Amino acid sequence: MGNVDLLQVQGLAAVLFCLGFAVVLARRNIFLVLMGVELMLNAVNLSFVSFSRQLVGNASLTGHLVPLFTIAIAAAEACVGLAMVICITRGKDSVDSDAFSEMKE
Amino acid sequence: MLHSLDAFLGPAYFYLFALAALLCGGGLFISRHPINAAVNLIGVMLALAGIYVLMGSPFLGVLQVLVYAGAIMMLVVFVIMVLNQATDHQVPRFDGYSAIGALIPVVLGLSLLRTLQHSPHTQDAGAVRGEVKPMAAQLFDLSANGPGYYLLFELIGVLLLVAVVAAVLLAKRSLDTETPENSDVAHKEDHHG
Repeated sequence: MGNVDLLQVQGLAAVLFCLGFAVVLARRNIFLVLMGVELMLNAVNLSFVSFSRQLVGNASLTGHLVPLFTIAIAAAEACVGLAMVICITRGKDSVDSDAFSEMKE
Repeated sequence: MLHSLDAFLGPAYFYLFALAALLCGGGLFISRHPINAAVNLIGVMLALAGIYVLMGSPFLGVLQVLVYAGAIMMLVVFVIMVLNQATDHQVPRFDGYSAIGALIPVVLGLSLLRTLQHSPHTQDAGAVRGEVKPMAAQLFDLSANGPGYYLLFELIGVLLLVAVVAAVLLAKRSLDTETPENSDVAHKEDHHG
């Protein structure tokens, strides 16, 4: 367990982050956009844990504690984000992100 | 004794979890119905929880399964099912802008990987400190010259409370208190939908 290559872990985190970014930018369903954000947050957490292996002593604990707060923030974000989706979907009857574009008019 | 087995199984398990995470991530990108996407995302989260345990942080792995794969994705699936109109899968997956949109992450990913190749990645063997006890000691270190994480912890509690209140207010049908005719209207609408 000690010899997982950190470069590979960072590479996996980078690929997952870009995958989530692509989901956010390319998909049209509003739920997929929210889930892409969650995937990006997960990838950043993995990057934190991986970087913590490079630090010495108590400083390495930071890389394990910051994901703790990120997970809590993600819970709050999902909670409010889904409530907003319920709120605006009620009037539109559509989950296409193009349906929510009346702010530009 | 078991060290040679560990040395072999560590990377093998990592490749297994990494492959699962990448496959489920790809599935998330191309899935047609939001429920399929949610299941794929849960797969990514479970694979990442396995990698956390491999990296010496079992606490984060458990938290990932409990909070992310359990609570957050349960909420997402629940809302998808509440709003599940028949039109859900009729939203086209991609449109003309998607190609441009997908190009940006590809460029970003290539530059990230190129930067990572040139960065140092020596690991400190003594830095496996993700167990519950040292993490709790650091998190609730109340000394004046400590890191002060406990303040963040308290703030997270306030933030979650605010988020719950905001979610209830946003998702409520109207801000008025429930009067008989109000609930009647709501009931009729529910019946129609």
